[in-house]
Amino acid sequence: MEHRFGRRALLRGAGGLAAAAVLPSLAACGTGTSRATTGGGSKTVIVRNSGGAYGEALQKGIYTPFSKETGIEVKVVNLSGTQMLAQMKQGRPQFDLIDNSLAQFARWVPENVLEPLDYDRIPSFKSAKLPENMVEEHVVGKSYYVTLMAYSTQAFGNKAPGTWADFWDAGAFAGNRSMGNPDADIPELEFALLADGVPMDKLYPLDVDRAFKAMDRIRPHIKKYWDTGNLPGVLLSRREVALSTVWHGRLDQLIAGGAPLAYQLSGGRRQAQGHAIPKGAANVDAAYQLIDYTLRPEVQAGIAKFYPANPAVAAAYDKLTAEERAKLPGAPEFFDKGFDVDIDWWLKNESAVSKRWREWARD
Amino acid sequence: MSVSTPALPAARIRAALASRRTRYGLLTALPVVIYLLVLFVYPILGTLALSLKDEQGGFTLHWYADTLTGINLSVLLTTLRISAETALASLVLGFLLAYAVSRMRPLFAALAMVLVVAPHFVSALVRTYGWIILLGDYGVLNEAMQAVHLPGAPYQLLYNEIGVVIGTTYVMLPYTVLLLYGVMRGVDRRLLAAAASMGAGRLVIFRRIYLPLVAPGLASAGLLSFILSLGYYVTPRLMGGPNQTMIASLIEQQVTKDYRWNGAAAQGVVLLLITFAGLLLLKVVGSLGASAKQRSNS
Repeated sequence: MEHRFGRRALLRGAGGLAAAAVLPSLAACGTGTSRATTGGGSKTVIVRNSGGAYGEALQKGIYTPFSKETGIEVKVVNLSGTQMLAQMKQGRPQFDLIDNSLAQFARWVPENVLEPLDYDRIPSFKSAKLPENMVEEHVVGKSYYVTLMAYSTQAFGNKAPGTWADFWDAGAFAGNRSMGNPDADIPELEFALLADGVPMDKLYPLDVDRAFKAMDRIRPHIKKYWDTGNLPGVLLSRREVALSTVWHGRLDQLIAGGAPLAYQLSGGRRQAQGHAIPKGAANVDAAYQLIDYTLRPEVQAGIAKFYPANPAVAAAYDKLTAEERAKLPGAPEFFDKGFDVDIDWWLKNESAVSKRWREWARD
Repeated sequence: MSVSTPALPAARIRAALASRRTRYGLLTALPVVIYLLVLFVYPILGTLALSLKDEQGGFTLHWYADTLTGINLSVLLTTLRISAETALASLVLGFLLAYAVSRMRPLFAALAMVLVVAPHFVSALVRTYGWIILLGDYGVLNEAMQAVHLPGAPYQLLYNEIGVVIGTTYVMLPYTVLLLYGVMRGVDRRLLAAAASMGAGRLVIFRRIYLPLVAPGLASAGLLSFILSLGYYVTPRLMGGPNQTMIASLIEQQVTKDYRWNGAAAQGVVLLLITFAGLLLLKVVGSLGASAKQRSNS
């Protein structure tokens, strides 16, 4: 609400009134931002991220040391995708750099709201040796988040579910399950196909019919489709379910607090997160500097220390202890046991598959 | 409320405008009117326009057809069903609670009202996680019921329609209780005493004296909670399953996931129309009640 008011008022103000007189008062309300467009040597950069524990980790692992080194102040905003898109379409984004999933960025490319990246302005890019699917015209990858299996360590005696076939096996691993709702993330058809015996390297293009047939089998055991990131943790620790899919990292606090929960680090679905610069950004130079800083191995390792985000730069794992690596599904030990989501496939099919999922989930 | 139609409306308006009081009134109302026009009416008209546009910007009714078919229709019907169930449940519970409160001494009544309203100061998310602790398979309620060996326990009280209606009713309860409490306080208890003195039993007094007196309050409380329930978002998502998806969720998903703002706009307009229909019904019921009262008075 506040943002909407701020933006509208801002536009109207820019329409002809003495903008200089209007903008500072708006900025004082904390809604609109008066932004002087600066060329080189800007001393501020405004980054959008999704906030929460992840945002805090970015602050500690990247932004604070970056400010210390460069003298550039990093301000953070937490806007939703819709809010960002609306601002960018109006050509006056409130932010200079976006931290988001590559899947989300891919949907914005046709909207023509992202600046094509000039990789010459990112010196550390060459040595970072990012995987191919993390380097795009408008987006450069930074880390992975992983959707994987988690379970209650008390539910199955001394057995532990290892594969998606185990997740689907309600005989050997009795108990309720929870899986993701398309409100939270793209539907989890890959897991159904893996459980049904499709090899990991043959997943895409997904056999949607086969996946839904496999989903039919597990459906009676699914108690709740989670739609917020912390719900799997609540369900597992309240013993509502014994097994759940979960965004890696979301159970860490519970586990640290003594909850009998564990992740299965194999078989996870990796989704890349990265940076992009919106068209109309005011501090492009500083944004490039921050992207460059983020791709240094020691900075990458730093993020993983504060939050189990998986560095995209392979060299970063050398800077972590074996113990730290053992918690990261993106670490070399586990990397080949998981798979990358095929953004292009999902981009073409997400809408139809989500619709089918919703019809499938209703009686 | 009915106004006798004037012979010359224009002349009447001019006369009204000439009065100083009216002009003063209009002047003081102006900021609010402008505020509403700019920030409420204008966006709603924008939404309406959006819902009638196709991807190229031409006129289409496609989005409305989409809203009223297939899964979207079934979500809309679910919304109406859950709202009706919530209205009914909060009306029955609200009636009992309000009746009890209206019979209490003022101090206890005030205390009880604070208890009824207090949940509204707790964030919806926190409150709903509280429900999981209370209603889950290993929740307080199910553990207690199993402890006393109630047949069939544990019951599934979450992630189905029961769970949703428990959650939504809880949120609606303060509205119905507050409304009914006001109406019940206004009941002239001498009428009940008079009926009793003429030999009416308690049931007859309730049915023929008390209920008709509070009926308008019941109607408006029920409709109010029905209308408010239409917009439920958090509770059905957290306490229900896929069969309890309500329209607000669908709108959110279209805006943030599918970027199909036209479809979302059409659903928003349909929801708004249902709300208007509810308000209209409220007004009709109200005026019917008023005219009934008039008739019984004359």
